[in-house]
Amino acid sequence: MRKLLLSLLALLPAAAFSQGFQVNLGGQKQIGMGHTGTGLVQDGASVFFNPGAVAMLPENSIQAGISPLMFKSVFNPAGTDVQYRTSDKVATPFNAYAVWGPKSAAWKLGLGVYTPFGGLTDWGNNWQGKYVLESLDLKAIFFQPTISIKLADFISIGGGFVYSHGIVDLKRAIPVANANGEDGQAQLKGSGHGYGWNAGVFMKTESGITVGVSYRSKVTTTIENGDAYFTNLPSALATSFPQPNNFRAGIPLPATTSLGFGFYPSKKWTVALDANLVAWHVYKSLDFDYAQNTSRLQDTHSPRLYRDGFSLRAGTEYKPVTKWAIRGGGGYASTAAQDGYVTPEVPDANRYYLTAGLGYKLANKLDLDFSFEYEHLFKRTQTNIEAQLAGTYKSNVYIPGVSLTYHW
Amino acid sequence: MKMNQLKNIFLLTAGVMGLAACKPEINTPAATQGSADFSRYISVGNSLTSGFADGGLYREGQLNSFPAIIAQQMQKIGGGAFVQPLFSEAQANGSGYLMLKSISADGTPVTANVTDNVAIRGQITVPTSATTTLKVTLYTKYAGDINNYGVPGIKLLTSTLPSYGNLNGYFERMLPGNAPSNNTSYLDFVTSKPFTFFSNWLGNNDALGYATSGGVGDVLTDKGTFSALYNQVINKLTLAGQKGAVATIPDVTAIPYFNTVTINAILASVKKASPAAQALFVNAKVNADAVGTTYAARPATSADLVVLTFPTSKIGQPVATPYGNLPYGLTQYTPIENQYVLDANEVAMTQDYVISYNNTIKSVASSKGLAVVDIYAVLNNIKKNGLTVDGINLTSDFISGGIFSLDGIHLTPRGYAVVANEFIKAINAQYGSNIPLANVAAYRGVKLP
Repeated sequence: MRKLLLSLLALLPAAAFSQGFQVNLGGQKQIGMGHTGTGLVQDGASVFFNPGAVAMLPENSIQAGISPLMFKSVFNPAGTDVQYRTSDKVATPFNAYAVWGPKSAAWKLGLGVYTPFGGLTDWGNNWQGKYVLESLDLKAIFFQPTISIKLADFISIGGGFVYSHGIVDLKRAIPVANANGEDGQAQLKGSGHGYGWNAGVFMKTESGITVGVSYRSKVTTTIENGDAYFTNLPSALATSFPQPNNFRAGIPLPATTSLGFGFYPSKKWTVALDANLVAWHVYKSLDFDYAQNTSRLQDTHSPRLYRDGFSLRAGTEYKPVTKWAIRGGGGYASTAAQDGYVTPEVPDANRYYLTAGLGYKLANKLDLDFSFEYEHLFKRTQTNIEAQLAGTYKSNVYIPGVSLTYHW
Repeated sequence: MKMNQLKNIFLLTAGVMGLAACKPEINTPAATQGSADFSRYISVGNSLTSGFADGGLYREGQLNSFPAIIAQQMQKIGGGAFVQPLFSEAQANGSGYLMLKSISADGTPVTANVTDNVAIRGQITVPTSATTTLKVTLYTKYAGDINNYGVPGIKLLTSTLPSYGNLNGYFERMLPGNAPSNNTSYLDFVTSKPFTFFSNWLGNNDALGYATSGGVGDVLTDKGTFSALYNQVINKLTLAGQKGAVATIPDVTAIPYFNTVTINAILASVKKASPAAQALFVNAKVNADAVGTTYAARPATSADLVVLTFPTSKIGQPVATPYGNLPYGLTQYTPIENQYVLDANEVAMTQDYVISYNNTIKSVASSKGLAVVDIYAVLNNIKKNGLTVDGINLTSDFISGGIFSLDGIHLTPRGYAVVANEFIKAINAQYGSNIPLANVAAYRGVKLP
């Protein structure tokens, strides 16, 4: 068993977006229930959803899950009959949690490793927007040690420290033709880190309804010394694009405030509601600051001007027999990108999603959970102000997932 | 856990992934030609229509001519075949052309002529009057269907001239007969086979020939003559009720041929060497009308436009004068010669003629219900504001601007794609068709070494 958990962990994470480039794939049980979980005590994923609820967990546990994600986007340039599609690449957001505390104690420690932000879009080097973006692979992995304390039977609090490791790999064509008439290519690749925190409170009310509030802080991941590769350029421009060169970039990952409720109509039923406010306004521009500038290679400042987004989610779990759990849910998320600022990096739009899940007790202490999510981003016709890339985007996301939980 | 269970998990996962293979689709409007009929489109015009670029007509330029780009897009909504009088692969370099060899340390481009694999078949001397002759370079004949009738060098003025097939090697190449025995005018030739749609961008050389020669080697076509001929050409092109698109003529000051080597830049480099220098002198036209022919030396201003081909090395070279040897360009006795400068009065006169030509083009087009592509406005706007399209910042700058080719007058494939899209937009607006726009990003700018 241990071996399988490790192999799931070893897979390289990539990620996708649930809004802007936020990923909401915190745990398989929660995905199945429409990404709800702030107001529930389900499993170790509370480390992510609401650290305040961790102390309420009845058992210690270790778990790992993976959610292979296919982001399928299409772009139809304005006034044309052409449809460009992102290539079929599978991102692999994952989540892993461990929760431990003495049975008799009022506290629990937790550790979460998960991928709350990321994006994987590959439009290829032959599409109309190649000078804007060919491909972007953005990943943020959060490591979060957490402590949670039960203040009373009906209330617990918790908080965690977040260390973020971010990786960016961005490719775009440069509009200069070499002697063969081919484009130059730019690749910006690097990794960096950032810090943040989160905190939450969880309450059981007298009416039996559970309530959770959590806050995840902004984490600015700074890439201090990324590599800037410029290739396939005419030799006449060699001095204009010095090699090797480095760049600095900061990616602000926004704060998220969540409020969640759990309702228990019967012993077999759980109904959950979540609302999130994501402070996307921190993502004002995408800046690349090159170590060596020339007249042709200036630092770039591309306005993004994201605005805060919200999402509303609902989900339910039904346990017909103790071995099985059937889950379903859905939600709606508002776009973070304003009109005129939608880019092929993240062809963001308002979206809805539908989820389903299935839980099975493989053994007394071992849970197997499946989740599936379908996300639809509404058609959005946009002219990006900076690049004057005009057309219509439409995207579907398909996310199957599986996790194993061992608890004792 | 049993292996079987593991296997089932993976099978289930694979099944779910299979479901996910469905792709998002965007429904685009159904193709329509509107009230136009693109089954046989012909393009009428000069070098800009032929795909001329980098000072020559060669196969790559032809393949990326704006009419070829339009026709490819028309074919997506049912347009007919479009055949160009291409140079063969073996003679792909056609007339020969300029390539960029290097860029010197100070940023000066160094060009070289491509002279191999050309399609030149000879040169003949044709009498143009009792006392004058013209040397005409002849090219390998093209036999076959033609949709793109672009002939480099042709003017509206010469488009009805029966002997023109003996005076222009690019036209001669399309004709069945050999110079000097041709007697079919360009207008008769292009209309000899039925067609359903046309583009007409004649008229540039009626002003450009004068301008690029610094006002020396050619004359501006008379405004009244231009109007009469334009009516004649359009009447003939629309004789069977054909629809079409016509384009206006660019302002000469919008092209890098006149904006790259500037008086101020020359003077600045002169001052670097000899700080005492105060001004450059040009031999300039005294008045701004077509009647006056008096030229006199005067200090140059930034309103005087120096041609791209001016050999700046001439500046400061000793020139013999009645007052002894004096440096070229730096005294009133040794002004920069007339053919290198379109001086302020010549500029004003050319601009006045171009505006008049364009008024003619627009009014004739409107009386016939034709689409008008206002390239005059488009290029002036690019000169003033640049043009950003699909993440590319295009300007009117020489070489780096991306639109103009190495001759500073004709366009790059990317520039021709921009023009093609302007035509497509105007045609769609006029006739209710929906020809898809071309992908400008798929076409190159200037090739750099």
